Amino acid sequence: MQTTARLDATFSALADPTRRAILARLAKGEASVLELAAPFEMSQPAISKHLKVLERAGLIERGRDAQRRPCRLVGKSLHDANKWIERFREFWEDNFNALDDVLEEMKKQEGKKGK
Amino acid sequence: MKKLTVTTDVPTEIHMTRTFNAPRRMVREAMTKPELVRKWMGNSRSPLSSIESDVRPGGRYRYVFQLPDGSTFAIVGQYREISDERIVHTESMEGMPGESVVTTTLTEKDGKTTLKIVMAFPTQEIRDMVVSTGMADGAGESYDNLEALLASSPQLSA
Repeated sequence: MQTTARLDATFSALADPTRRAILARLAKGEASVLELAAPFEMSQPAISKHLKVLERAGLIERGRDAQRRPCRLVGKSLHDANKWIERFREFWEDNFNALDDVLEEMKKQEGKKGK
Repeated sequence: MKKLTVTTDVPTEIHMTRTFNAPRRMVREAMTKPELVRKWMGNSRSPLSSIESDVRPGGRYRYVFQLPDGSTFAIVGQYREISDERIVHTESMEGMPGESVVTTTLTEKDGKTTLKIVMAFPTQEIRDMVVSTGMADGAGESYDNLEALLASSPQLSA
């Protein structure tokens, strides 16, 4: 059940575009709140709020350096989230099933033209 | 077999394979012509709301998806190579770092076409993030059902 709660928190955290952008930035290396706030044109407190959500979801951790408290990605949560490769698969499966229909339609159209 | 396979054995890649009951030129057309793409890409909750695409080497494309909450997100990139058997294009979520290179190979046999798609990312972190956000965004439908799915999926509570 704990894993379920954690995954729930992970996906809630991932649902926000600013937080995803923060994660994308952190994928390139650790950064301080100041460094994160700059490109987003957001206040430090606003960024800190997002960081708290990400930290609670276990997606990032903060360094101990009291001044800077650099943020970095935590691999494990993303790995857990990656179990959702299955969701990715289903998304494409739905698309490709629809593509089957489009191809059938194209074959019909071509058959008509051929006659 | 029409079944889609997705593998992630290479840490920075996603591989997908799927066979279609149609000749190669038709599959390629359905995958590149905007008026055909919009018939199958996206789903009822997150439909494609616009497509701009310049299908030739060096040409750019932009696919905009509508999310259930009214917001949109765009997948953008550039075509690098287009031939009968291969399409190579770059792909990223607009405004986010982490571009992938997508190589699509089309093989025709007995009137059927097998599609092999390899998505190559700069790092494993970026791949995993794209998969996760792709789930949350592109499959908005799934996201809405997340709690129900979490409750019913035994592999997740393990």
